[in-house]
Amino acid sequence: MKRPTLTHSFGKVAFWSILLSILLLIVMSLSITLGAASIDFIVVWKVVLSKIPFLQNWITVDWKESTETIIWDIRLPRVILGALVGAALSLAGAIYQGVLRNPLADPFILGVSSGASFGAALVMVFGWQIAWLGKFTLPFVAFLAGLASLMIVYYLATVERKMRVETLILSGVVIQAFLGACLSLIMALSNEQLQTIVFWMMGSLSLTDWSYNQIVFPVISIAVIIAYFFSRDLNMFGLGEEVAHHSGVSVQRSRIIMLVLASLITGAAVSVSGAIGFVGLVIPHIIRLIFGADYRMIIPLSVIGGAIFLVGADAFARTIMAPRELPLGIITAFLGAPFFAYLLRRARRGFF
Amino acid sequence: MLSIHQVTKKIEGKSLLDNVSFNVPKGSSIGLIGPNGAGKSTLMKLISAYEKPTSGSITFHNKDVQQWNVKKLAQRIAVLTQEGLAAYPIKVFDAVLLGRYPHLGFFQRESKKDYQLVEDVLAFTSLTDLKDQFLDTLSGGERQRVAIAKAMVQQPELLLLDEPTTFLDIGHQLNILKLVKEWQQKDNLTVIMVMHDLNLASQFCEELILMSEGKVVRSGSNEEIIDSDLLENVYHTTPEIIRHPKSNVPQILLGHF
Repeated sequence: MKRPTLTHSFGKVAFWSILLSILLLIVMSLSITLGAASIDFIVVWKVVLSKIPFLQNWITVDWKESTETIIWDIRLPRVILGALVGAALSLAGAIYQGVLRNPLADPFILGVSSGASFGAALVMVFGWQIAWLGKFTLPFVAFLAGLASLMIVYYLATVERKMRVETLILSGVVIQAFLGACLSLIMALSNEQLQTIVFWMMGSLSLTDWSYNQIVFPVISIAVIIAYFFSRDLNMFGLGEEVAHHSGVSVQRSRIIMLVLASLITGAAVSVSGAIGFVGLVIPHIIRLIFGADYRMIIPLSVIGGAIFLVGADAFARTIMAPRELPLGIITAFLGAPFFAYLLRRARRGFF
Repeated sequence: MLSIHQVTKKIEGKSLLDNVSFNVPKGSSIGLIGPNGAGKSTLMKLISAYEKPTSGSITFHNKDVQQWNVKKLAQRIAVLTQEGLAAYPIKVFDAVLLGRYPHLGFFQRESKKDYQLVEDVLAFTSLTDLKDQFLDTLSGGERQRVAIAKAMVQQPELLLLDEPTTFLDIGHQLNILKLVKEWQQKDNLTVIMVMHDLNLASQFCEELILMSEGKVVRSGSNEEIIDSDLLENVYHTTPEIIRHPKSNVPQILLGHF
């Protein structure tokens, strides 16, 4: 007897995940070769592998120390951060679209990024520095501000301990508008820091340092694992909220967990890289258009796809007008919008 | 098995259900009929614990449905609404497999048994040929059949049907009801069904409960309920009662212009 489709589709998930992961590694290493000092592709791999215990015995050091510094201390952490932020934003977008059942949902829909941007702008303008946080002051304050705005949105949307999706989206719009005005006010009043704020708001991976990765990596990996186990719930949401309830999904509870999870990783991503638009909206949709709407597929592939996309976009941002670096948000929109438009035109099916 | 006790549901002071009580023994098939706004759908939502009653209680196996864990309740009660499943683009097989949800732990993957069950149910509902199709490419009737298959895979003891045939043509209407009937005979299933079509209700259900304005007007066999005077009181139109030439159950003809 023929084995049914699901085992099939698990194999399919694994196949595409591995394929895209390989692509991700290639894009990451290519991105490391690019820059003011051009570095050989093979050397990149040798340097990275030489850092791994056991393997290092097999590799002969035939590169300059400065090359190693560029690869290991400057470009690699940036590329990894790019991959993590891309993965986080894309995953958050996929979750928001599923839970809110709204194709326009992106990681910023509930006001997390507006809050974070506002917090970051305050830090920049007033030059705050919390002693024990040091260089983490900016991301820390941004994260807290993002979380605070999210709580306000939830508070506004909750009536009699029930939360309606439409109200939630509207609350997000209200908070975004208000915080946007606050942000504009700060920008209007600050002359010197204006450019820093604008640059940050458009997104950038210039906070290049291993220590950021050490914090963001565990947060995002845990989120990915939890989200994967919720893919059945997300599929159920797709069939309808009432259907989900009747099939045994605790709708309110699942929804809150997923929204908080998505908001946390959005906050984590935004706090280190600014509000990079388009990744969270476009990547999950591209995955959906190519592979269908099954969340067991969408979650892992969005994560890897988002990482590939952002690493690639960052490579463009760094090199296209070198030595000037362009804000990442501009590149993601330039690359993402036309490709998305192309996919929309040739898509066979409607997807929401 | 299921007992509805003095249930009242009010929304903003407006009464949708008013002191409704009845019992549902195991294996019975009960039809809820009545005009729009009689509170039939509201009652179904209360039984499946999707909404809470304002007062009164609905107990299932001697425990208030509100106290039941949502997942545990879904192991025993399945629901089919008139909208059925949304046209979400996943494969028929995977949609039906989601019916196993209440029987699976959070970290548990579907087992071979689950797959086999889905295959069997797809065969029973004549969906085997469609199993690799996407839900959004199916017709309304086919999608409702998928919803039934999904409910069967849930292996409930009580099935709630809220006008499952509303959007379907007469062929599909009968088809869906036949399917439910076969399933009921196979598994000694208990069925509560909201029906607009009195003729189908009369043929399908052993017992009919006629509701109007949130109250139970009368309950009884189709012989008792499909009655010209009774229906006229509730629907404000005068139907003609005739007999179905094959099965001899009472049927109605609508009044003429």
